[in-house]
Amino acid sequence: MKLKKLEIFGPVFIIIGLLISRYLFPNKITFFTEISIYTIFVMGNNILMGYMGYTSFGQPFYLSCGAYAAALYLAYLGGNVFVAMLFAVLVGLLLSLILGPSLMRLKGSYFTLINASLCAIGVFMFERLLIDITNGNDGLWYRSNMAKTPFLDIRLPQNYFFFIMFVLLAALYIYRKMDKSALGSILKASNSNPRKMRFLGYNVFRIRWLAYTISVVFSTIAGSLYAVNFGFVNPSLGENSRAIEVLLATLIGGIGTVYGPFFGALGFLGMKDFVSSWLSRWEFVVGIMTLVVLFKFNRGLWGLIQDTGSFIFDLSKKYKKESIKTAEK
Amino acid sequence: METWFTAIIYGLSTSGILFLISLALSIGYGLMRIVNMEAMLYYSFGAYITYTIVTLTGSFLLGAVGAALIGGLLGFIVETTLLRKVYHRNMMFTMVVTFSVFMIGIGVIQFIYGLDPKPVASPISTIVRLMNIQIPLYRLIIIVIAAAAYLFIQILMNKTITGKALRAGIENRENVEGLGVNINRIFTTTFVIASAFAGLGGALNAPLVMVGPYMGFDMLLFAFITVILGGLGSIKGTMVASLVLGQVINVGGTIWAPLAFVGPFIVMFITILIKPTGLYGVKGTAFGFND
Amino acid sequence: MNQESKLLKVDNLNVCYGKLAVLFDVSVNVNAGEVVFLVGRNGAGKTTLFRTIAGFLSPAEGNIEFKGNNINKTGAYKTARSGLKYIHQDKQVFGDLTVKENLELSSYATKDYDWEPVLGMFPKLRELIDRKAGNLSGGEKQMLLIAMAMIGKPSLVMLDEPTEGLAPHVIKDLAAIFKKLSKTTTLFIVEQNLPLIAEIADRVYCMKEGKVVNEIISREDIGNLCFEQYL
Repeated sequence: MKLKKLEIFGPVFIIIGLLISRYLFPNKITFFTEISIYTIFVMGNNILMGYMGYTSFGQPFYLSCGAYAAALYLAYLGGNVFVAMLFAVLVGLLLSLILGPSLMRLKGSYFTLINASLCAIGVFMFERLLIDITNGNDGLWYRSNMAKTPFLDIRLPQNYFFFIMFVLLAALYIYRKMDKSALGSILKASNSNPRKMRFLGYNVFRIRWLAYTISVVFSTIAGSLYAVNFGFVNPSLGENSRAIEVLLATLIGGIGTVYGPFFGALGFLGMKDFVSSWLSRWEFVVGIMTLVVLFKFNRGLWGLIQDTGSFIFDLSKKYKKESIKTAEK
Repeated sequence: METWFTAIIYGLSTSGILFLISLALSIGYGLMRIVNMEAMLYYSFGAYITYTIVTLTGSFLLGAVGAALIGGLLGFIVETTLLRKVYHRNMMFTMVVTFSVFMIGIGVIQFIYGLDPKPVASPISTIVRLMNIQIPLYRLIIIVIAAAAYLFIQILMNKTITGKALRAGIENRENVEGLGVNINRIFTTTFVIASAFAGLGGALNAPLVMVGPYMGFDMLLFAFITVILGGLGSIKGTMVASLVLGQVINVGGTIWAPLAFVGPFIVMFITILIKPTGLYGVKGTAFGFND
Repeated sequence: MNQESKLLKVDNLNVCYGKLAVLFDVSVNVNAGEVVFLVGRNGAGKTTLFRTIAGFLSPAEGNIEFKGNNINKTGAYKTARSGLKYIHQDKQVFGDLTVKENLELSSYATKDYDWEPVLGMFPKLRELIDRKAGNLSGGEKQMLLIAMAMIGKPSLVMLDEPTEGLAPHVIKDLAAIFKKLSKTTTLFIVEQNLPLIAEIADRVYCMKEGKVVNEIISREDIGNLCFEQYL
């Protein structure tokens, strides 16, 4: 029981863990920033994949749309970083308003593949169609346009790290709230038995659309955070090959859970970082690791942590009981 | 006028290669209802084996045979050790599992051959004149081979008793087994044939592109589009879709170069929104989902 | 009763779906030439028992012997080839194929291309030979399934609820067919239709909640319908 009560502090623990590791490995700060942003991106995918059972090969499209929304704002319209992020959220809402109705009527692999084609169309759009404003493959640079922000100048990487910690904390609590509220159960229920949900009087299509919207907005926020972090964007952010990475990260973390995305981002990026510092060919090792996770720990890293946690808790309880018994004797 | 005609012939040869490669995906779905992304490995390995054999012996024909054999062998190993264990799992799971296998395969290729792209010389440099238009004979040979492969598969599926057992097995696996048919062996045989075609596709495509570790990755989405556009599980659909896409890539690319890459995606996007089951797909459950 | 006449011998069979046990220490015997019935409520484990014997499920414990050979781990297709045919409850023929192709499929598996005895028993199939099997009526489908099972001259045919959902006059025909079949082969049938059982059964096993609770041997008892409580 105690262990469950501690769960509410989960997001705080994650943030504290990140802050400690930031000071333990000061030269890895960009890596921790990236993990945090990637967590938000994986969260978006997890809503579709874990809660709704929709596999999307197009998450990088939404990521790059968010990134380009923020980038274009910063490059041409103004210098306020927060407005740029808000702009990215608006773009996300607009995207899901336009695409949602037709996409959420598709099923299974069709949804997957339509999203994949969105990815390709996105790259095409930012690389060729809008080349006049996006500079195509050369990328768009706007760091000098970014204005100083009050209290904390987030243009500096060390300050940006704190800002990201704040955003991640908020995102985790919102996510947790969503999972614990009726919405989480409704999403999962309409995945496992949509017909029954209809009989219960739910509009399953609208539920799916809502989930899609949340997912898109999370992705565009992650995109805008990337854009501000790097100070430049290029079309490769939305490439198809990245779609698989986010799926892998979601699975590695443990799908359909609140903290899975964080551990997925940590596990996947960590693995990639670690492997590529030893070997130039990370695909081989990452492939094997993913197979191991899929077959041996099918609840992902978070599931593994939960299991070991409860195992240790049970052990300690047993130990306590025994020590009480011996004391009584 | 001549440019268009050339584009159409080139388009047909692209279709041929697309068809050979997509067959493994199409049959993998048709037989086991799984999306076997690792099918692109047979294609890449086929191309690399062709490169090795051509470098060693100078014979492209031997290379193509070797490619088909290695494709079939890999298909056999993957089907018997992995796919059979996961075919009843949900779509997402099998997709990620087969993709992991694909990544491992890319790692193996990088380990053996390194990262640099390898060139394979075109085996036939003869140019044929067709109605005053110059066409490389090699392109025409690809078209003929792909057409023969299509006929072979259609006869195998519809005319032979093995094909009938296969179709019955897709309809109801247990009942066929109950009659005493070793359905696993038939499934494996069919899958191996499809994998061998993918390997052959790799061999045929090797002189046209650079042979590199990520060539399967580049082809994956196009093969996917072919299968989805044609309708899942329909071999005829796969054939028609590859014909359409070959023209979109080549004729479209002649009109405006970027269309060669983005055209197939746009065609699929529109088709799926209008007819979600693809051109020849049967109405019913899309895989993994009951709703 | 000597050992050789026991065609099928199931001893203390335990079967689980994952962690859930569904059969508990089930033992049944079928002797050559008999017509044995298995009755019980829905969910009593009859189909599970049949599927385990046929090789679609593997038992957790126990022993299945067919013609003196242990077939615990034998694959379904090998069991079928060795002469134990199982006809599913769902009456699924291969609707996409014609009647002839359906029969060919069975011949392909058992390498027995002699259709005369089968078509002699079901003359109606001869008329329907080029029809798509999917367009047959329920009774015709059942006949086709039995015909397919009889190709290869099996020594034991197991039928799962063959009369379910069929019209009364078709059931009468089937009863006559079963009588004819029992002269050449052994039958082991799951059935809910009491008059049919009373007419042709040699022995009846009753199952309840995953256990065999009763074995009725004398024909009088079968006639008395004393096992009605198990239905």
